Amino acid sequence: MTPQGQRGKVAPTFLLLVPSVLLISFLLVAPYGYMVPVSFCKPGQISGYEKAFTLANYAKALGDSYYLRIMMWTLVYSIGTTLGCLLLGYPVAYYLARTRTKWKGLLMIGILSPLLVGVVIRCYGWMVLLADNGLVNSLLGRLGIGPFKLMYNPFGVMLALVHINLPFMILTLTGSIQTIDPVLEEAAQSLGASPRRTFFSVTLPMSLPGVYSGTLLVFLQVVSAYAIPVLLGGFQVMMTPILVVQQVIDIFNWPFGSALAIVLFIVSGLIIWLYTRAMNRLMRGLA
Amino acid sequence: MEGKRRQGGIGLAVAVALIYVFLLLPIIIVVLAAFNAGEYLSFPPQGFSLRWFEKFFSSEPFVRSFIFSLRLAFITTCISTVIGTMASFYVVRYSRIGKDFLRVLHTAPMMLPGMLTGTALLIFFYTIGLGGTYAGLLLGHVLVTMPYVFLAVSAALYNFDRSLEEAARSLGARPFTTLGRITLPLIKGGIISGAMFSFITSFDQFPISLLLSGVGMTPLPIQVFDYLRFEFDPTAAAVGTVTIVMTAVIILVTEKFVGLESMYWGSK
Repeated sequence: MTPQGQRGKVAPTFLLLVPSVLLISFLLVAPYGYMVPVSFCKPGQISGYEKAFTLANYAKALGDSYYLRIMMWTLVYSIGTTLGCLLLGYPVAYYLARTRTKWKGLLMIGILSPLLVGVVIRCYGWMVLLADNGLVNSLLGRLGIGPFKLMYNPFGVMLALVHINLPFMILTLTGSIQTIDPVLEEAAQSLGASPRRTFFSVTLPMSLPGVYSGTLLVFLQVVSAYAIPVLLGGFQVMMTPILVVQQVIDIFNWPFGSALAIVLFIVSGLIIWLYTRAMNRLMRGLA
Repeated sequence: MEGKRRQGGIGLAVAVALIYVFLLLPIIIVVLAAFNAGEYLSFPPQGFSLRWFEKFFSSEPFVRSFIFSLRLAFITTCISTVIGTMASFYVVRYSRIGKDFLRVLHTAPMMLPGMLTGTALLIFFYTIGLGGTYAGLLLGHVLVTMPYVFLAVSAALYNFDRSLEEAARSLGARPFTTLGRITLPLIKGGIISGAMFSFITSFDQFPISLLLSGVGMTPLPIQVFDYLRFEFDPTAAAVGTVTIVMTAVIILVTEKFVGLESMYWGSK
């Protein structure tokens, strides 16, 4: 069967893997690993850090109420955005998975195309819409309402975060719902279940794996978002990634920046772990 | 039966239509703002104008960033396409143990938050002397784009009918002839769509570029970002419109070769 076997000699096929494994170990594993010792160093005077052990960075990241509060809000925004994406994404995904229209290709392009426009440009679109003298307020002004403060606040940030991440959710959910055999839904309905009951006892439970991967994907993106909170929050809405970049680029305090990043990483990891356990239990209970 | 399911369908269709509006609105707005004469897009619009495009093309920093990003995305794509294709060949065809681990490893750069990867790379690069260099920026881009090639080529390889290769070989074709005449032409679609995603991801890359670009190297998204922090005029919309048109052209050309839907559901 195998081509090497046929020729009686084993080709060194593992060589194919060398560049990518080198790339990943050198540029992903090593840098992430290196952040850990750096986070225990003292901030340097000249360079980014000084080789001296300290726990002060973690004491500050976990003890200072300013950083803790921002971390908490980061998680609140992230969970809120993830739920928003799920609520908006599910109907679209369901429709796409079940539709038999010949326009499906076009509808898919509609979902994919926002992904292919840079995040900064999409933020600009929202800024044009939501600014004090932006399109929405000028339209409302014509009707004699407003103006409302729509950006540089959590509302604007979360709206844009939902928008940017919605395609990921839709694509993941569509893939999952497509694997559910429509016959099951038809069976439930022909046995007298209302559409609502069919949805909650057949479709939704069976699509839980998709819900799980979609929410995870979006949560990971949002918890580390930077451009969106900066542009639509105008530094009025702080999230931990903004603080990390400030420390690393502007203040040049790599140890504290690393510690903040690691704390964010661990806290998100804990949330994901708890969520995974809960979802697993839920899926097992339904199976 | 069909009719019964269609009843709830109207409410669903309306909801779906509204969500599509939400998804596409900001992009349409960018294009409208670029062609609008006024400083702000208000209602009603203030007339058609190309002044923001003129401002973009006569602004040296924007043009320089645009060319810089095109070059960076091109070099990135060349490297990540080769590396990603090689890796997917091994993982799909030859790996006996640890296939799942290898697959996770090769998609990890895409899954891990770009901001964290960028921060880790910045500190690491400065420590080993690559900080603020073009090589560092390029390596960062190759890292985050390679998974797209890996996934696209893997999908193509899974759908591949091995008997064609066996036929070629049994007719006496050498391994490299088989590779060049049979295998590569048949997985061309996967390679091309992977390369396309790699190019677009690099061209639009934000977090890695923000953290790794040094003095005198400003990729376009960073240039627009810095601009928007202080100014708000539609030059950014003109830049956005040009990149949207460019991306659309790339995708349409790619569509000629391969259906993009295969990227998501074509595998297995």
